[in-house]
Amino acid sequence: MRLTDIAVRVEDGAPIAAAPERNGGLGGGVTAILAEIAAGLERLTIAGNTALIDLRSLPLSPDDREELRLALGHGEVTATLEAQGISTLRETAVAGVWWTEHRDQEGALTAELLDIALTPPILAAHPSDVVMAAAALRRRLGTTSPPGSPVKGAA
Amino acid sequence: MNSRATVGEMLRQHGVSRRGFVKFCTATVTAMALPPWLGAAMAEQLSKGPRPSVIYLSFQECTGCFESFMRSFSPTIEHLIFDVISLDYDDTLMAASGDASESAMATAMKDNFGNYILIVDGSIPTGASGACCTAGGRSAEATLREAAKGARVILAVGTCSAFGGIPFANPNPTHAWPVSGIVGDKPIVNVSGCPPIPEVITGTLLQFVTTGQIPDLDEYRRPKAFFGNSIHDRCYRRPFFDAGQFAKTFDDEGARNGWCLYELGCKGPTTYNACATLKWNGGTSFPIESGHGCLGCSEPNFWDKGSFYEAQSTAMWGREGESQRKPLAEFAGAAIAAGAVLGVASAGAGRLRQHEREKK
Repeated sequence: MRLTDIAVRVEDGAPIAAAPERNGGLGGGVTAILAEIAAGLERLTIAGNTALIDLRSLPLSPDDREELRLALGHGEVTATLEAQGISTLRETAVAGVWWTEHRDQEGALTAELLDIALTPPILAAHPSDVVMAAAALRRRLGTTSPPGSPVKGAA
Repeated sequence: MNSRATVGEMLRQHGVSRRGFVKFCTATVTAMALPPWLGAAMAEQLSKGPRPSVIYLSFQECTGCFESFMRSFSPTIEHLIFDVISLDYDDTLMAASGDASESAMATAMKDNFGNYILIVDGSIPTGASGACCTAGGRSAEATLREAAKGARVILAVGTCSAFGGIPFANPNPTHAWPVSGIVGDKPIVNVSGCPPIPEVITGTLLQFVTTGQIPDLDEYRRPKAFFGNSIHDRCYRRPFFDAGQFAKTFDDEGARNGWCLYELGCKGPTTYNACATLKWNGGTSFPIESGHGCLGCSEPNFWDKGSFYEAQSTAMWGREGESQRKPLAEFAGAAIAAGAVLGVASAGAGRLRQHEREKK
């Protein structure tokens, strides 16, 4: 029996109140994150540098998180990755910003990130995996790779 | 287990894809409060290297720390054992027993001398010639001394192992010591807590496996990545503390409104751990979120500091002869007043300690 098999109910009414005397408008934390995103997008444009922001490490209240979600909006693309659990990579309405959720095989959230990239790097196939895949296909076909190919051991 | 196979080879054998491993590493580095982009680099680095040998010794303890280790959500213990490390000896988990298990430890120590990671939980009793804790006819002290010789690093997991814990508390009938009281010539990393947060144990282990370096430690040899902030500083109830809003009893209006638990004995201001950020049970909650103050279980001598239900000021006095806590006493005197005054004094004590840490 695993811990996750034990029924746990998280009460909605848990004492997680909003901070007292909260002002209206965007919280300071959300504004700071948006500024970091803007700087990240500029670096992506100028130098091609990708960036990741770990949302779970930031002291965001539930209200702050919702504000951030609304501020970034929904984009056109949602990708699902099935590897050691389901991951969802959702493009936001801010081009180049992806809201990424990684879950484990029990469905627990293990990481929540803002991925600043043209395409999230984890979606791309790794070159060495491509080489191994080509070799496997060559073996299946019983053919050899052309001279100079990085694929070894075919046929 | 074949400890010479690389992690990448082990992954392929177990059908774990590269993306799956990158994801695992990303979750791990974020749990360790490291920059998330390190996840991909960690995956690349780990894939190339052999799985390091790990020997896990349990001494005078309740097995709570190992239970915690087993409950890690990210990374899971299965991930660790099958993909990243070679757990060559653990008398709680291994199927072998008797001579076979002792032989497994001897072989692992010989084959990996100078390179294995030694994890210890529990304190080491030295009274009655070590008779209070023996296995295979050897005392805990003798086993630890022998195993420490070939260790590259020792992770002291749990407050008993790191600081002596419950066995070390007055009157310490077994003459118990922490690992650092027995071994003086090896790097020791203390992962304290009663028990430690599972992800803190696995995260500290992975950080060492990935980098091969001892992480940055505080003055109690704890990894700063997890023990760098006080519970109080990262507590979601902190705004109520700052506003002077305190629960007076566990069932009053303040408690129902989620106000600060300082006056009910919360030790968050002087306790350094990651409970408020990593939380427990896969991030579900932590004691303060469940309505109970922090006990301060990751700090030295927490059992000897008075009631868990008295305010911070009355619980700061250390064991007789202990000097490290004395500067806090003057804050305790000021804090005994009441209400928000209590809180301000405690925050001062915490800040003083933070300041002292930064000076070092």
